[in-house]
Amino acid sequence: MAAAGVSTTQLHPACRVRQEGFGLLFYDSRGPRLLFAATGNLLPQDYFETARSRDELPEGLSDSQKQTLKKFVDQLLQKGFLREQ
Amino acid sequence: MSNKYVEMGMRSPVNLTWEVSLACNLRCSHCLSSSGEPARDEMTTAEALDLVEQLHQARVFQINFGGGEPFMRPDFEQILDACHIRGIMTCISTNGTLLNAERVERLARSRQVAIQVSMDGSCRETCDAIRGEGVFEAATAAVKLLAATRIPTSINTVLTAQNASEIPAMHAMAHALGVSLRVSRFRPSGRGADNWESLRPSPAQLLAFSDWLAESGDVRTGDSFFSLTSQERQGLGLNLCGAAKLTCCVGPTGNMYPCAFLQTDRFKAGSLRENSFQEIWDNSEIYDSFRKLRIHSCEECKRFDQCHGGCPAVAWHLKNDINGGDPECLERCVTSIADTDRLALAA
Repeated sequence: MAAAGVSTTQLHPACRVRQEGFGLLFYDSRGPRLLFAATGNLLPQDYFETARSRDELPEGLSDSQKQTLKKFVDQLLQKGFLREQ
Repeated sequence: MSNKYVEMGMRSPVNLTWEVSLACNLRCSHCLSSSGEPARDEMTTAEALDLVEQLHQARVFQINFGGGEPFMRPDFEQILDACHIRGIMTCISTNGTLLNAERVERLARSRQVAIQVSMDGSCRETCDAIRGEGVFEAATAAVKLLAATRIPTSINTVLTAQNASEIPAMHAMAHALGVSLRVSRFRPSGRGADNWESLRPSPAQLLAFSDWLAESGDVRTGDSFFSLTSQERQGLGLNLCGAAKLTCCVGPTGNMYPCAFLQTDRFKAGSLRENSFQEIWDNSEIYDSFRKLRIHSCEECKRFDQCHGGCPAVAWHLKNDINGGDPECLERCVTSIADTDRLALAA
């Protein structure tokens, strides 16, 4: 969980996410829109349901995986699947 | 790009249509399911609530409720509540006649529901000719109630020969009421099959609608307007029939089908009274055949990448052949008009 005062990101209330064979499938009911994210098993499907700081990622990832996932989180924010609080 | 992932197979549908009852207080001439009287042996409340839990376990994102008129089921709001408690988003297709201020206020509390009110013309005469006397007024009143809430609301119109020229006016009417417009395709299913020839839009009307739609970016279209330009559909990244891949249909008695327009024994994928939702989704031979469906006869068409053969349900109802390509696709509209012009010139 993020420390007090740090901005956090979380799944937008209009969005849902679930695990598929290729990775995560995001759904935005406002479109509707789908986002197919080939994340494999790097992120669990409930990862975005908890408010987290943008830099907080699961343990045990390599540096390149962390970089990729940080970019991915930025994209999710940009596309409106996540929202900053 | 997205199709590659869809082809890999989804663990469950993204959304599904659940026709909770065949009961309806209207007798619309284009009704896809010939609704009126409830079906014999419709799902009980316990069965419906059990299905909601199964859909939650399967992580289905959204349920699109239709019928019949969903609010004809006394337990319908109980079913909705069960969905919302579990975080399943819902969209209700209603004729609007059973919505009142109290019901709308209850619905608005969930923040997880969207509502489509069916209207089939921009004026009383056109709408009521299809849906029945007094429906235009009742549906308009319902839209006004909904527009005053935070419930995402749209007017849903089935494009027919009778209302094709009124679609721009309906768009303006929706704007004036503070809601969006959604246009669905008319298919020869249910009573729509009985009235197909009198209600079907002409090729010229379909082409004119396509052109208008391309310029009207905020208009939503039904799932299977594959042959028509839709910014949202492009945004969704999908250009193929989603039946059995991204969506499916549950009928009033718990039978499952590829889509709402193929609710016949020929296309029955299974019964929820015999197997679980997940078992049917994973193992149905009918679903498997839809996942493997390739419309080879359309592959040479220049529009193939945009529609992949269009709507198998229309192909089935008009040609008894789901492999034959959509007989009403835009390319065939163009050909049909050209043929008519050639015949006229020759005469």
